[in-house]
Amino acid sequence: MADNMRFIGQDVLRREDEYLLRGQGRFVDDLVVPTDTLHLGFVLSPHAHARIAAIDVAQAAALDGVVAVLTGDDIAEFVQPIVAEIEFPGYIRHGRDVVARDIVRFVGEAVAVAVCESAYVAQDAIELVDVDYEILPAAVRLETATDPGMPQVHAEIDNNLIFEGRFTTDGVDAAFAGAPHVLKERFRSGRVGGVPIEPRGCLAIPEHGDSLLFYSSTQVPHLLRTALAQYTGADESKIRVVVPEVGGGFGTKAQIYPEEFVTFALARHFRQPVKWMQDRREELLTDIHARDHLYEVEVAFDDDGVVQGLRAEIWTNGGAYSTLPFGCTLETTGGARMIVGPYRITEYAYVARAVATHTAPAGAYRGVAQPTCFMAIEGMMDRIARALKLDPAEVRLRNMVPTAELPWTNVVGVRYDTGSFVESLQRAMTMIDYSGFRTRQPADRLVDGKYRGIGICSFTEVSGTGAPGWRARGLVRMPGFDSGIVKVEPTGKVTAYVSHAHAGQGHYTTFAQVVADALGADLEDVNIIEGDTAATPYGTNTFASRSAVTGGGALLRAGDKVKQKIRRIAADMLEAAVEDVVVEGGRAYVAGVAQHGLSFKQVAETAYAMNNQSLPEGETFGLEDTDFYDPPLVTMANAVHIAQVAVDAADCRVEIERYVVVHDCGRIINPTIVDGQIQGGIAQGIGEALMEEMVYDDMGQFQNATLLDYLLPTSEDLPNFEIEHIESPSIDNVGGFKGVGEGGLIGAVPAVLNGVADALCDLGVNINRKPLKPSVILKLMREARERQT
Amino acid sequence: MTGKTEVSVTVNGRKRHAMVEPRMLLVDFLRHELGMTGTHIGCEHGVCGACTVLLDGRTARSCLHFAVAVDGAEIETVEGMAGRDQLHPIQEAFHQHHALQCGYCTAGFLMTTVELLKRDPDPDEADIRRALTNNVCRCTGYANIIKAVAAAAAAIRAQS
Repeated sequence: MADNMRFIGQDVLRREDEYLLRGQGRFVDDLVVPTDTLHLGFVLSPHAHARIAAIDVAQAAALDGVVAVLTGDDIAEFVQPIVAEIEFPGYIRHGRDVVARDIVRFVGEAVAVAVCESAYVAQDAIELVDVDYEILPAAVRLETATDPGMPQVHAEIDNNLIFEGRFTTDGVDAAFAGAPHVLKERFRSGRVGGVPIEPRGCLAIPEHGDSLLFYSSTQVPHLLRTALAQYTGADESKIRVVVPEVGGGFGTKAQIYPEEFVTFALARHFRQPVKWMQDRREELLTDIHARDHLYEVEVAFDDDGVVQGLRAEIWTNGGAYSTLPFGCTLETTGGARMIVGPYRITEYAYVARAVATHTAPAGAYRGVAQPTCFMAIEGMMDRIARALKLDPAEVRLRNMVPTAELPWTNVVGVRYDTGSFVESLQRAMTMIDYSGFRTRQPADRLVDGKYRGIGICSFTEVSGTGAPGWRARGLVRMPGFDSGIVKVEPTGKVTAYVSHAHAGQGHYTTFAQVVADALGADLEDVNIIEGDTAATPYGTNTFASRSAVTGGGALLRAGDKVKQKIRRIAADMLEAAVEDVVVEGGRAYVAGVAQHGLSFKQVAETAYAMNNQSLPEGETFGLEDTDFYDPPLVTMANAVHIAQVAVDAADCRVEIERYVVVHDCGRIINPTIVDGQIQGGIAQGIGEALMEEMVYDDMGQFQNATLLDYLLPTSEDLPNFEIEHIESPSIDNVGGFKGVGEGGLIGAVPAVLNGVADALCDLGVNINRKPLKPSVILKLMREARERQT
Repeated sequence: MTGKTEVSVTVNGRKRHAMVEPRMLLVDFLRHELGMTGTHIGCEHGVCGACTVLLDGRTARSCLHFAVAVDGAEIETVEGMAGRDQLHPIQEAFHQHHALQCGYCTAGFLMTTVELLKRDPDPDEADIRRALTNNVCRCTGYANIIKAVAAAAAAIRAQS
């Protein structure tokens, strides 16, 4: 850890802003392409499940400007079937042809690719490809896909049950048997996606003979490079992946997609640059989907509302293929392992299943399983309160692990080193005047035509997963480390290279703050380089709230090594003892005699042999070092969200009237950027809770592949956010940082749902699903009224 | 589609001419013919607002217009906002208030804000929220954009 934090914790304005605001950000579609670039267009299956009887490409291939039209069989010559590398008892592996051969398994799966001289011609060409499909019945719904007699998605996966995992503590049955109360509920979560405003795209440019420069709108440049080599047979050493500006990732761009392999392979094949840009329809059809989940949860509790035991049966819809690199079990195992949250739940059992269906593959979208598992456990906390006529906040407080008992290892073996569960809830309740709201909230909750309620979500947020954390979830080849190189240049300026790749998180700013403090440099002297596999050391890259923990940790360690070298060289030059040399503010000086010192430039000139000083005995030339940091299993952040909502009795629209957050992500690097992450996450969470849903019909036809039909929240749908922080630095990792990328979304979904449930509970409305579109609420209210009459 | 038509427009005060296919979208014309890639494409069906430009002074979705159809028009894009050394007050307010993250949608928000503040130099929060429904941002949750627009309005009023 940096001894002296001048910049960590400061509201430094972002370095990224100026070029982005001037319109000078270079996103993948903004790159100047060589004039001989070929452009790809993919022919997508219009059917959820069909046999490809024949593909006639003749008419398309004859079009002016079309270089080739290739089918799955052609592409299979260049790219091996991709396989998610999961080893887990109960998991069945299967391969995916990057362009389908023989069978298509979801609407939008590519069946052919047109290689053309322009992107416009590519659109013409794909219209002319004639595919003869024999339509087959599809398994679409999570609820029915494993029923006997349903069409099988993959021959090797019986009953479409692709994964089943089980866990139980010894005492869970006894806990249920001995408890005076048991409640059971079924929670259904609707399917959503990350929907970054920049769709995906990539550009492959051959260089130096058989090497390839590969630009991609990705969050995982190093994993992508390894996968490109692995599945195409290219030498990894001859691939350079560069991540340009990325227009939002949200986990969606942390998968490695078929189009990347095809673009790469065709640039090798044609020995020409090849570019592919996705359009919005393709984005909605083919980028990973998430959250198509069903949770059956049973909770046993005593007369005080203290949970005695928890059982969960979790079903997740994995879609048609297990995606790279996380596979389709990430959501399944995630929910099973995270559901206990901040609570002292010691008796627990789960069955967690992933199901293959004829729908778009599921993957890692911001929050992964956590919005759903906290929808379930936080929904149960409210139900316990209602059953016992207790306040829902009080029930949570009675069940939380108090700070004095941390570190705490939860029932599935995850250690919470530090945190502030109780304090966060209490602070959030004060912020929103919780007791005042409860006093004002009339019994029927109907004021000025609106039902008002308040919803709480108290949760833990998994971040910075290390290798042991991935192994625990069956990901046998997923590294956990990230890495950094810190280099003082001959001029005394500092360049730091980090294995991450940003998609809007402000890494150039925050990592510079970390490096400046690690090294004792001035902030303006530090420049960050990332997202280029030719420049940066290997790492796991940027998803699952990793950067601060893993990249920050690596940079702190590398920076400290360089700082120690500066001290040794400076001590020699100053004829002082090493332990007397202080490094700060871009200078090394003898403690107490600040004027008796050297600038970084003067020290660097010695290190680079650019003066007449010799290096101290045993020192090597240069002034740089590398380090790798693999954090513990996970680093657990925590937060509380409270939403005050109003449900219009007439049109059933939900308005968020107030929204408060108390967040604890450990040591904060840049408070404004942290708040930005939380705000953006809440926006996605409110979207997920109230309006966003990817809809398939019973045939597996996708119903809403436009942004007119897949609703994203706009400025009139969202409230202002009141955010405060508690800082409980991690004691288990290097910097004390905890991730913050996903918490906003995780907390928002349950808080909004619980707020609506609270508003409507006296009507007998049971809120156990999302999204809560007005039509859904209207139906629930009608049904409740009918039940009561 | 080989027949090309000449298009002449004024972009950020400069006359520009090119021969384009009749079906070329205005946004592709700006980005790929003129190399002005600050205007982005988010949906190509007129919903997200990332491609918003000013067309004869009013916001327009450049993904919904053909280049040939705007022959003779005055177009303003994000590239025309800042001076060499100084950001436009709206851009500066976005910077000060952390109103952008990935920056992909930002040009559209800036152009919408230019139009809003021309029409209403002193909008309240509800006015700003209404105007910004023109554009979708997936990163920020809008709160900081709304603050930035209010701050930009105040800065511009103070200047004039």
